[in-house]
Amino acid sequence: MILPIGPIHPGLKEPLRLKLQLEGEKVIKAEIDYGYVHRGIEKIMEGKTWQKSIYLAERICGICSYEHTQTFAETIEKISGVQAPPRAQYLRVITNELDRIQSHLLANSTFFKTLDHEVLFIHVLDMREYIMDAIELLTGNRVNMGWNVVGGVRMDADESHFKPILEKLDVVEERFPRVRELFAEGPAVALRNKNVGLMTKKEAILGRAVGPIGRASGIKKDYRHDHPTYQDYFDFKTIVRNEGDNYARTLTKFDEIPESISLIRQAIENMPKGDIRTPVNVKSGYAKWQGEAPRGEVAYHIETNGNLIKHISIRTPSIANIDSCAKFMLKDVASVSDAVSTYASADPCIACAERVSITDETGKTVNKDFFEVR
Amino acid sequence: MVLNTVKDIVRKSSIHVCIVNCGGCNGCDVELVALLSPRYDLEQYGIYVHNNPREADVLLVTGAVTEQWVTNLKRIYDKAPEPKIVVAVGNCPQSGDVFAQEGGKVHAPVSNFIPVDAAIPGCPPRPTEILSAILAVGPDAIAQRGREKK
Repeated sequence: MILPIGPIHPGLKEPLRLKLQLEGEKVIKAEIDYGYVHRGIEKIMEGKTWQKSIYLAERICGICSYEHTQTFAETIEKISGVQAPPRAQYLRVITNELDRIQSHLLANSTFFKTLDHEVLFIHVLDMREYIMDAIELLTGNRVNMGWNVVGGVRMDADESHFKPILEKLDVVEERFPRVRELFAEGPAVALRNKNVGLMTKKEAILGRAVGPIGRASGIKKDYRHDHPTYQDYFDFKTIVRNEGDNYARTLTKFDEIPESISLIRQAIENMPKGDIRTPVNVKSGYAKWQGEAPRGEVAYHIETNGNLIKHISIRTPSIANIDSCAKFMLKDVASVSDAVSTYASADPCIACAERVSITDETGKTVNKDFFEVR
Repeated sequence: MVLNTVKDIVRKSSIHVCIVNCGGCNGCDVELVALLSPRYDLEQYGIYVHNNPREADVLLVTGAVTEQWVTNLKRIYDKAPEPKIVVAVGNCPQSGDVFAQEGGKVHAPVSNFIPVDAAIPGCPPRPTEILSAILAVGPDAIAQRGREKK
């Protein structure tokens, strides 16, 4: 029997159709239908100036909107051969990590909602509001921040911003261990999640899982380690787990939050003085750039003639994560409610995922370039 | 008469909401989820987010209508029982925002497909704005519309 879930469904936040193939109550296979929120952003960008395109890039995804503008700005900076001043890089790190914390908290709260664990859902969502306050304080907006410009950041911040941000982080840090413990050691919650939605390391590589989803299956890859700002000035460790089940995926996201908080503290402590923006004479050319969004790798390939965007392709993490969720995690799940929570644990972001993508079931042409499609 | 009064009270105090994302950037939906947090606490006003059109009183439409939603939006609207109101959240359902340009695959505004009762501009609107808009238009309009159908 095939059970369709979605596009509008109590368990799903965004429109997407899950087709679950059932045998009794057991889910043996799943298929995913995309295309409900495809807006054609790349096509709109082509022929527009880069000042307009960065505004569009922010509206690719509402949850990780920040990372898209940063990657876009850094790609244009790479083409022009300039680098943002150190103070701007530090401010970018602060905002990026705040965005990562709120995204992880939102993803985990959605996961607890699908588990029908109302207590954890409300606790995690309450913690998130403090981070949203910090984001609003720094950038002026809650979701689409408009914080990055090519060559730096839009506004400067001073002690009057940093002090309240640190206070709000203190609140989150104080509440966080209890919430984590509720999940990690609560017998009923743990039992429901251990060994559900298993994805081995081999399967994760085949499905090209990225970000916390890949790291929960043992792929030690974090694009922040390849990023010049993080390489030069910051010190943090990558969270890797080997279980590859719902429990591991949720805990990976939880454990990354203290790391992000420590990164923000490092940035505020060592904040250099100087400009926040450097004038950029945008040259013509082509470049690619990767950044680590909350959900994994975001890659931009941009070809510009110095003013207009000639061609752009964007790879977002959710494509790979949702695909590996459908193929490997939802393979042998005990019940439909477990299947929905497994889907939520893969942290899907459909607005991100509606890009051009190549999928290959055989696994033979895994190295095929996503960006060859024009 | 008495029955109408009782129905009014019930309709005003228990509003079920369904979020229909017909092709936005997800930002408005995130702010709608934030409404559930204790800071804003949507449920103290008797508003429940169920995401099920078949038991919805209020449809919260976000997003600029994409290709797939051209026919499906009306179907979702028809599934919701009477009386119902539609609130358009964000800029996208009203104008298409940045997506209504050459090359974009959107068919905004939403009012071309279903009747819209209230609109909240913003990209995205703040949770408090969404909450006050639902409360301003929701209870009374639902109760009044319920009476008209009699």
